[in-house]
Amino acid sequence: MKESLMDILCDPLDKSELELEVDERDGDEILEGRLIGTVTGEVYPIEDGIPNLLPPDMRD
Amino acid sequence: MDGDEPRDGVRETYDRIASHFASTREYPWPEVESFVADSTESGPAARALDLGCGNGRHVELLSAHADEVVGLDVSRGLLDEAVARSAERGFDAGLVQGDASRLPLADDAFDLAVYVATIHHLAPRAARVASLNELARVLDADGRAVVSAWSTAHDTFDREDGFDTTVDWTLPGGETVPRFYHIYAPDEFDADLDASDLAVVESTVSSGNCYAVVAGAEPRGR
Repeated sequence: MKESLMDILCDPLDKSELELEVDERDGDEILEGRLIGTVTGEVYPIEDGIPNLLPPDMRD
Repeated sequence: MDGDEPRDGVRETYDRIASHFASTREYPWPEVESFVADSTESGPAARALDLGCGNGRHVELLSAHADEVVGLDVSRGLLDEAVARSAERGFDAGLVQGDASRLPLADDAFDLAVYVATIHHLAPRAARVASLNELARVLDADGRAVVSAWSTAHDTFDREDGFDTTVDWTLPGGETVPRFYHIYAPDEFDADLDASDLAVVESTVSSGNCYAVVAGAEPRGR
């Protein structure tokens, strides 16, 4: 995902802001990392460039 | 069966059939093409959303009519197909895994959206109406979206009321994989839209599908 996508992503649970933590990037493309709910504390992984923002009850 | 099972099932199903399904979903629908052309007559959209983007065929269409495009799907397998398609065809899109009833997207972020052949996979009805409310929330009040669902008007069905069913997907080699569907009666489709925060511009039936052009909700609390 591009870092600019952060402008419109939010926590699916309460629509609050997310904080980005990057493990691996390629230019402005974030390949691995996580998005963390600033209110819920929920951790949403970014794997191979795609953020998984499924609510926790729908994740494996 | 509790409320989450059909959606979890739909995700697993599409993860399983993603590659073959994608290979059979080559072209955008004419109804969607004409909606996008009409909506962008006076200039490209700033940001467009494909809700339930599957292999990205409508993301590709939207990318030609919007400065920025986001595709969201519940199935990671289908999103991987969309990544491959965007690389092959040279279009750019932000791809996100998420639930249509609980969108991880900001209020009023989009001025154009398509929500095509996806709502009929959600259950129960409350989840379908919730997904329409979520579309209303992320779509600007001046923005436009098209919503479609498979309907009892299709020749396949000999019923007049909406109903839940499973429709098998047949993989090469003959193995079948069941998919949950809620088949909408046209008046039921209109009732769900009316129950939602969306403003309905027009509603039609075409090729056995219900279609509605809608606008987003007025911003709240501002």
